[in-house]
Amino acid sequence: MDSALIPRGVKRCPFPQFILFIAIVGAVLLWGVYAMLLCWFKGLNQTNMNDFYGFALWIWADLAVIAVGGGAFFTGLLRYIFGKDDLKNIINYAVLIGFICYSSALLILAIDIGQPLRGWFIFWHANVHSMLTEVAFCLSCYFGVLTIEYIPLVLENRQINKVPFFHHLGHNMHEIMAVFAATGAFLSFFHQGSLGGVAGVLYGRPFAYREGLFIWPWTFFLFTWSAAACGPCFTILVTKITETVTRKKLVKDTAIQLLAKISGWMILTYSIAKTADTWYWATVTVPSLGQTLMDFYSNNPFYGIWILILEIAICGFIPAFILITKKGRKNSAALWIAVFLAVTGVCINRWVMVLQIMAIPVLTFENWVLYLPSWQEIATTILPLAYGVILIAISYRYLPVFPNEPELNPIETLPAEEEEAVEPSVELEQELKPAEA
Amino acid sequence: MKIDRRSFLSFLLGGAAGTALSPLPWKLTDDSSIWTQMWPWTPVPEDGEASYVNSSCTLCPGGCGITVRKIDDRAVKIEGMKRHPVNNGGLCSLGLSGLQLLYGPTRVKTPLKRVGKRGRGRWEKISWKDAVSEVAKTLGDLREKGQSHTVGFISGSDRGTVPRLFERFLTVYGSPNLIRTPSIIDSYELALHLMQGAQALPGFDFENANFILSFGSGIVDGWGSPVRMFRANSAWRDTGGKVIQIEPRLSNTAAKSDKWIPINPGTEAALALGIAHIIIKESLYDAEFINNYSEGFEDWKAFVLGEYGPDSVATITGIDSTTIIALARSFARASKPLAICGRGQGTTPGSLNECTAVHALNALVGNINKKGGVFAVAEPDYINWPEVEMDATAAAGMQKNRLDGAGSKKYPFSRYLLNRLPQAINSGKKYPLKALFVAGANPLYTMSDSKAVKKAFDKVPFIVSFSSYMDETAQNADLILPNHNYLERYEDIPTPAGMPQPVIGLSRPVVEPQFNTKHVGDVIILLAKAMGGTLSDAFAWDSYDACLKETMGYKWQVIIEKGFWSYPDFVAGPREESFDTVSGKFEFAPKETGSLKPFKPVKIEGDKTNYPLLLMPYDSIRLANGAMGDPPFVMKSVDDTVLKGTDVFIEINPKTAGEHGLREGQLAMLSTPVGQAKVKVHLFDGIMPGLVALPRGLGHTAYDEYLAGKGINVNELIGPVEDPVSGLDAAWGVRAKLAKA
Amino acid sequence: MKHKNAKKYGMVIDLDKCTGCGSCMVACMAENNVPFRKDESNKVLSITWLRVYQLTNGKPFPNTDICYLPRPCMHCEGQHEGHSPCVSVCPAVATDYNTETGIVSQIYTRCFGCRYCMASCPYHARYFNWWDPVWPDGMEKYLSPNVSPRMRGVVEKCSFCFHRYQLAKEKAFKEGRREIKEDEYQTACTQACPAGAITFGDLNNPNHAVSRMVKPDPKHHGRPTNPNAFRLLERLGTNPKVYYLSSREWVRRAGDNYLENEAKYKKTVHQG
Repeated sequence: MDSALIPRGVKRCPFPQFILFIAIVGAVLLWGVYAMLLCWFKGLNQTNMNDFYGFALWIWADLAVIAVGGGAFFTGLLRYIFGKDDLKNIINYAVLIGFICYSSALLILAIDIGQPLRGWFIFWHANVHSMLTEVAFCLSCYFGVLTIEYIPLVLENRQINKVPFFHHLGHNMHEIMAVFAATGAFLSFFHQGSLGGVAGVLYGRPFAYREGLFIWPWTFFLFTWSAAACGPCFTILVTKITETVTRKKLVKDTAIQLLAKISGWMILTYSIAKTADTWYWATVTVPSLGQTLMDFYSNNPFYGIWILILEIAICGFIPAFILITKKGRKNSAALWIAVFLAVTGVCINRWVMVLQIMAIPVLTFENWVLYLPSWQEIATTILPLAYGVILIAISYRYLPVFPNEPELNPIETLPAEEEEAVEPSVELEQELKPAEA
Repeated sequence: MKIDRRSFLSFLLGGAAGTALSPLPWKLTDDSSIWTQMWPWTPVPEDGEASYVNSSCTLCPGGCGITVRKIDDRAVKIEGMKRHPVNNGGLCSLGLSGLQLLYGPTRVKTPLKRVGKRGRGRWEKISWKDAVSEVAKTLGDLREKGQSHTVGFISGSDRGTVPRLFERFLTVYGSPNLIRTPSIIDSYELALHLMQGAQALPGFDFENANFILSFGSGIVDGWGSPVRMFRANSAWRDTGGKVIQIEPRLSNTAAKSDKWIPINPGTEAALALGIAHIIIKESLYDAEFINNYSEGFEDWKAFVLGEYGPDSVATITGIDSTTIIALARSFARASKPLAICGRGQGTTPGSLNECTAVHALNALVGNINKKGGVFAVAEPDYINWPEVEMDATAAAGMQKNRLDGAGSKKYPFSRYLLNRLPQAINSGKKYPLKALFVAGANPLYTMSDSKAVKKAFDKVPFIVSFSSYMDETAQNADLILPNHNYLERYEDIPTPAGMPQPVIGLSRPVVEPQFNTKHVGDVIILLAKAMGGTLSDAFAWDSYDACLKETMGYKWQVIIEKGFWSYPDFVAGPREESFDTVSGKFEFAPKETGSLKPFKPVKIEGDKTNYPLLLMPYDSIRLANGAMGDPPFVMKSVDDTVLKGTDVFIEINPKTAGEHGLREGQLAMLSTPVGQAKVKVHLFDGIMPGLVALPRGLGHTAYDEYLAGKGINVNELIGPVEDPVSGLDAAWGVRAKLAKA
Repeated sequence: MKHKNAKKYGMVIDLDKCTGCGSCMVACMAENNVPFRKDESNKVLSITWLRVYQLTNGKPFPNTDICYLPRPCMHCEGQHEGHSPCVSVCPAVATDYNTETGIVSQIYTRCFGCRYCMASCPYHARYFNWWDPVWPDGMEKYLSPNVSPRMRGVVEKCSFCFHRYQLAKEKAFKEGRREIKEDEYQTACTQACPAGAITFGDLNNPNHAVSRMVKPDPKHHGRPTNPNAFRLLERLGTNPKVYYLSSREWVRRAGDNYLENEAKYKKTVHQG
C-alpha cells in the first residue's frame, strides 16, 4: 500500500501490521495527550506537585531525555569535527533520537509551566543570570539545529527526493552539515551544562549547591560530561532495541564498537570526576554549612546512601570498565548491560539532582517530604516515549535511517508490490546511499 | 485551474511561511498572554475612595476596638484600633477575618421558616412582618394559657442594652428563664459575691502585676480579653514580670511562661491551699489586710495548716514539695503577685472551691481592689430605663422557679445554670419548655454532652434563633430571625472580660446591612409592640438605635467619636467600703461554700478500669469555640498536627502511645462514657502521660464547607458535672480509652 | 548602583513574645487577597505567605518546650545586593530585588510558573497557585484593590506589604515630603500582632527600632551582633532581612544547621 514510500533495497513489514503497531502505541500517546490537555485546561493541580516539590517528575524527565539525547551532539562532534568516519553509519539514528529527545523535552516544559501561554517570556524578558534562561535559549537553538540535521534525512524519502528542489536542498544541506554539527556541539555544551547549573547554583540548598569555576558550578561540567558519556550509550541501546524488534542487523559493529569504546572512556573519566566532586562536596562544602553527608541520606523511608552507590559505582564504574575493555564491549550481553547501566546511571543522577533536592529539609524544623507523581504526570511523561516510538517507526519505515541496512540485509527476491510501485521517473532516483546527515 | 499535488503542497508551504512572517502569529502570541494576565474569572477588585470606620469587635467578650478600612461602600480590611484601651492596635485572628463572616456564605440572608422536619435544612423565606407576628402569636397563646414561664431565652451575655432588652421583655412577659451561657465568669462572680459580698465582675490589673500564678488559665490561649492578655504577657517580657503556669499540658501559655509546673489534672484547688499553707506557716501574708479587712481567717488558717502540708499536697498534685514551697515563697514575696484561675479560655466555670481557693491566695497577699490585683468591677450604670409595669400574668410567671434551678434552694447563689437545662427538660420533672429563643449563643454546639442537649432541644416545640449565621442552633430552629452582622449594627459593649476598670465600647455599622436582616433589638421592640398591653408600654422606643442613643445620654457624643467610653478616674472604693458581706470584711471561709471541708476532687465521669486514660479538652486561639466558628482564614492557620483533612489529632504522650501500640498519625478510636469518635494520634512530649487532649472548636456540622465536617466536637465526648455548691459545670475532663481503629 | 537614600527594610521577630496565635498569618491573608480552599490542612498546598512554625526542643515530659516561629519571606540580600537565591534564578525577571527598599518583589503577570524560584528557596516562602483562586459568592467584596489577586499558575509570596510602602510614599509626596516616617510604613502582620512581637523598619537607619534591636553588622551583610538575635540558615549566605530574637539557646540553634558538638561558626564556603 505504502510501498512507493519505502526506501529501495529494504524490506518492511506489511502495512496493516505497521498500522496496528502505530495504533497501539498511538493509544498510549492519546492517553498522554489527554493528560496533557487536562494539565493545560485545569492547571497543574492535576499533578501531585506541591509547594515543596516545585520541580518533580517532569523536570527529571526533561533532564533525563536531554542527557540521553546527548548522543546526537556527541556523535556529531566525533563524526564531523573529529572525523570518526565509522560513525556515519549510526549518525542518522543518533540525530533522530536526539530530535525526539529534544522535542520531547520542549513539550514537557510546555506542560510543566504554570502559564504555558506566557512561556515565551523566558526569551522576551530574559534574565541572563538565570541558568534556566541559558537552558531555554540553547535548548531551542539546538532543537533548531537538530531539525536542520533531521531534514536532509526526511528529504531522502523516495517520493520527496523526486522533487528537484528538495533533492538539491537535501544535497546542499549535507554539504554544510559540519557547521551545524559544530554549532550543535557548542550549544549542547552550554545547555547540558546549564542544566547542571540549574541545581548547582542553588546556594540555598546544600544538597544541590556546588562550588565551581567562575560562574559555573561543577555540576555544569559534570552534566555536559555525563551527557556526552551516556548519550551515546542511549543511542546504542535504542539501536540494539530497534535491531531486536526488527530482527535485523542495522548498524555495523565497527560503528557500535567505536562509539562504545569512546563512551566507556568518557564514563570512566566522568565517574572519577563525579567521585572527586562528591568527595569534596561531602567533606568540605557540606560540613561548612553545618551538615554531614549522611544528613541527606537518612531519616527518611526512601533516600538512602544506596542511591549514591548505585549511581556512581554500579551505574558508573561498572559500565565504564565493561566498555573500555575490548572483551567487554564485544560481548553482546555485556554491552547490553553496560549501556543499560550507563543510561540508568545518568537518569538516576538527574533524579537525584531534581527530586532528592526537593525532598531534603533545609530548615531544621522541617521534615523530609516525599512525593509520588499523579497519573497525569506519568501519562504525560510516557507521552514523549510513545511519540518517540512512533517517530522512529515511521522514520525507519520510510527513510533511509540505517545506511548499512541493505548491505547487511540483502533482499534476494524483490517483493511483488515493490515492482508495482516502481515509478517512471527513474532518472531522478539514485542508488540508495547513506544519508550523510 | 488544475490543482495538482505539487501546487497544493507549494500553496501549503508558502502559506505557512507567509503566515509565519506576517505579524499575525506574533500578535496572537502576545494577545494570548495578555489574556492570561486578565482572565475574566480572576476577580479584579474595584478601586475607589479609601476611608476608615472605628467600631468594636463583638465576636468574643474581649471587646477589642477595630478600625475597618473601606473602599467606597465595601469593607476591605479589619485592623485593631490604635490607642484603644483593650487592644491598642493588635487584633486576634478571628477579629481579623471578620469580613469573611460579613460577606461569607454562612449568613442567614432573610427570615427563614422551617419546612419539613427540624434540622433537615429546608427553609422558606418569610417576611419580617409575618415572622414577627408568628412569634407574637405563639407567645401570646402561651401567655393566655398562663404558661408564660415556659418560655426560655439563651443569651451569650447579660450585660449591655441588647441583653437587657431580652431581660426586660421576659420580665414583662412573665418568664424567669433568661439563661446566660456559662464561663469562668460565673464562678468568679459567685466567689466575689460570697467572699466580698459584691455583685460585680472580676477585674484583673495585669498591667501592674509582676508575678502571675496561673492555675491553667490560657493567658495567651484566649483567656479573658485575649488581645489584652497578649499585650500584658509581652509587657511582662519587657519588665521582667514572671508567669508561673500550672497545668498538666504544655499549652502555648505554659510554653511562654517562665515556669511550667505540670499538675495532676483537677487538683489545682489542693495546690492553692498548699501554697496558702506555706504562706501562712511562714507568715508571708499581708497581715495588715488580714487583720483589718478579713473575716474567718483563723478558721481557715487552722483548716489549711491542718490539712495541706506540702507533703500531702505533693501526693495529691504530683508536684514535689520543694517546688510547692518555693512557689509559695516567690508568690508571697513578689511585689505584685496575682493568682488567676479558669482553665484554657475559661470556657467552663469549673469548681467553685477551686475558684475561692485561688481567690483566697490573692486575699492572703492583700491583693484585693488594689493596684496589680483583683478588682470587683461593678457594671457601668448607664442603663436606667423606666421601671416596667407587670400585669398579673407576668407577675405569676416571674414567681415560678427557674427551669435550670439557679436560685433554687439547692443552688441559691447561682444566677444561670445552662448546663442543667437539658436534664431539666429531658426529665420533665418541673415544667416543659414550650418556646426557646437563642441570641448570641450556639448552645447546640457549645454545650457538653451533645446528645442530651439535642434530645432536650427536640422536646421544645418552638425554637427561634436570632443568629446572623447558619450555626448548629439556627439549623435546628423553627424560625430564624437573622440579626445584623456585627459590622452592620449598633451595640454597646460594657466592660470586656477581666478589665479592672469599666469601659463601654461601641459597635457600629461599618457597612449597610448586606441582606434582609434586622437588629435583634428592633425585633424585640417590634415583638413587644405586636403583643400590645404592658409589653408594648415597656418598649416605647421607636427603634433600637433610638433606645441606645437615649440610654447613652450625654456619653453618646463621646462614644460615637472615640469609639469607646472609659472611666479614667475610676478608683476602687477604699478598703473599708470594699466588702459588702455581713461582716463587712473579706470572708476567707464563707459558710455557704463549705470551703472548710477537705478537698475532694471533682468526680469526673467514667471509671478507671474501663477508661484508663483522662481526656481533657484544650483551647487554642486559632480555633474559635464559642458561638462563632472559625472563618476560612482562621481555619487555614490551624496546624496540620491538629487537623489533617477531616481528621482531628489527639495529643498523647509518646510513652502512653507506646503502651497503646499507637504511632504518630495512626487512626484510633477514642471512647468515653459519653460517646466515641475516630481520631488520629499526635505524639506530643508536652502532655502528661496518661492524659489525652482534644482541641475545642472543631467538629461543626453547620456553617460552611470550610468549617463543617472537620474533626470532632469534643462536647460529644464529655458531659457536665455539677459543682456541689454552685451547680455550675465543673467538669475539666472525662475518663477515656483509646484503641487502634 | 546604591541609591543615595536606599532603604533596607527588615523585620525583627521577638520569639520570646510570639505566642503562635496566628494573627500575623491571618492579617497577611486579609491584607493581600490570599485565596483559600475547602481543605487547607495540607500545608504543602496551602498558600500562607507568612507561616507560623512550631518548634520543639525534643525533650521528653516534663522538660519539653515549644516555640513558635513566624516565617515571612526573608527578602534575602544574598552575597551581593540582589543576589537572592530566587531572584538570581528567575528566568524571566518576574521576581526582582528592589535596591531602593531591599524588597524582593514578585510580578504575577510576568511570572510564567516555572517554579525555579521555589526550588531555590530554602525557607519554603514561595507558593504556587495550583488552582484558580475562587471566593464564595459575595466574598469578593472584601478584596482590596491595592493587591491584585493572582491567577492560577503563578508563584506568589510575601511582599513586605509593598503596596503599603507605595501608599505611604504617595501620601508623603502629596504632603511635599521626600521621606516617610517609621510608622507610616508598617506591614500588616507587624500592625496586627497582638503580642507586639514584630518590629519592622529600615535596617540602614540606626534610629529605627529594627537596627537598635539586632545591631546588624554591615561588614558581614547585616549579621546581627546582638547575641540573642539570629537569622534563619545564616550559614547559607542568603543574608535574610528577617531577624529573630530569642533568649533560649535551643531556639537560636534551631535557626541553622550545626555539626554535632559544633560550638561556633566555621568558615563558610560561598560562591553564589
